Amino acid sequence: MTRLALASIIAIAIGCSACAPPASTPQDAKASAPADGVPRTADGKPDLTGVWQGGNGRKGSWEEANSGLGVGGTGADPAAPANPASQQVITEPAPYKPELAARVLESFNKRGIDDPAGLCLPLGVPRLALVGLFPIQIVQTPTQVVILHEYMSVFRVIPLNAEHRTDVGPTYMGDSVARWEGDTLVVDVTGFNDKGWLSGTGTFHSDALHVVERYTRVNKDQIDWEITMEDPNVLTKPWTVKTTLMLREGTRLQEYVCAENNVETAHYEKILKEGVPYRR
Amino acid sequence: MSRARFGVCLVAFLLLARPALAHHSFGAEFDANKPITLTGVVTKVEWTNPHSHFSLAVKDDKGRTVTWVLTGYTVNALYRTGWKKDVTMKVGDTVTIFGWRARDGSNSAHARDVTFADGKKLYYGPPAGTGEGGPTPAVKVP
Repeated sequence: MTRLALASIIAIAIGCSACAPPASTPQDAKASAPADGVPRTADGKPDLTGVWQGGNGRKGSWEEANSGLGVGGTGADPAAPANPASQQVITEPAPYKPELAARVLESFNKRGIDDPAGLCLPLGVPRLALVGLFPIQIVQTPTQVVILHEYMSVFRVIPLNAEHRTDVGPTYMGDSVARWEGDTLVVDVTGFNDKGWLSGTGTFHSDALHVVERYTRVNKDQIDWEITMEDPNVLTKPWTVKTTLMLREGTRLQEYVCAENNVETAHYEKILKEGVPYRR
Repeated sequence: MSRARFGVCLVAFLLLARPALAHHSFGAEFDANKPITLTGVVTKVEWTNPHSHFSLAVKDDKGRTVTWVLTGYTVNALYRTGWKKDVTMKVGDTVTIFGWRARDGSNSAHARDVTFADGKKLYYGPPAGTGEGGPTPAVKVP
């Protein structure tokens, strides 16, 4: 008996014909398949569960979406150009206070050599999920949403309809709580430290950063992801970035240990010290 | 939408859309205007994070053997690109790489692809300029 046939029998046995899965993964077995392609959980919410890729708007499996073009080129055709879909749409330039914009520009002119990513540290929200070479996995339950980031092996446990906790200090990824607004999951993040970048080279922030993320699964393959960042210490007004997360069925997360044998930190410090002509 | 207005919107989009972060600092260390192709014998393979490296013994135009160090993807990306540790590339293999030279003039380069003796070609690193912040800064320049 095939797994699909077995799953269908089980679905009928529990009196839920709509639960008959079109494929054989646990994720699909849990979800229904309505006309818009957005699977829903038993409580009627859009199901965000799955493995997703940020920074790459192409539809398909990891191999399909990254072959030939690729985010930075994880594919079979090395001669192909970079993936033109690998872009985030910024609705406006980052609204830094005029006296602070020069600091962002300085990092840009240094070609990002002072990027905290070189230190193997968590990159914060939303930047961590924009690392297109690494997938994320979302696990959704009625009471919480968990986001597992392969990059830096970071996790976010996000309770639904909860207050922000008060028993933790500032962190790289902040403290997240979520709620549903219709079919959109709204995640509120506070409690950041001041060691990360927002989105884009040199986009530093303070520990007053407040991020609001809006996740809307618009079809089977795509989550629209809108991020609004507020930081009264460095920005003159909220800054919004719109991008997507694309479903990568069949992809499984790997362990990622950045700190082991990390030779880059000392290397970049050497470049900075010796004044190699890296500047724009 | 008029053609002129569409043009303005297109320019605005191009100014405000930037490649997603993939890897940091390739564009800082290596010069996209200095492409290079090298053929040599692999002398060392390092599966390291956040970037991998291997060394290549290359004969220069005077017949001397010079060691080049090539930099590429992080380990996880190599696995997903089709590489297998200690299998795909071994010390003693003869390979050809295409990439971009380091800005400091040293014998190191960011390798985009590796071609093996049997003709098989695999990505080893991202495109030139990756991680240098895109074409425009995040802030508006007066």
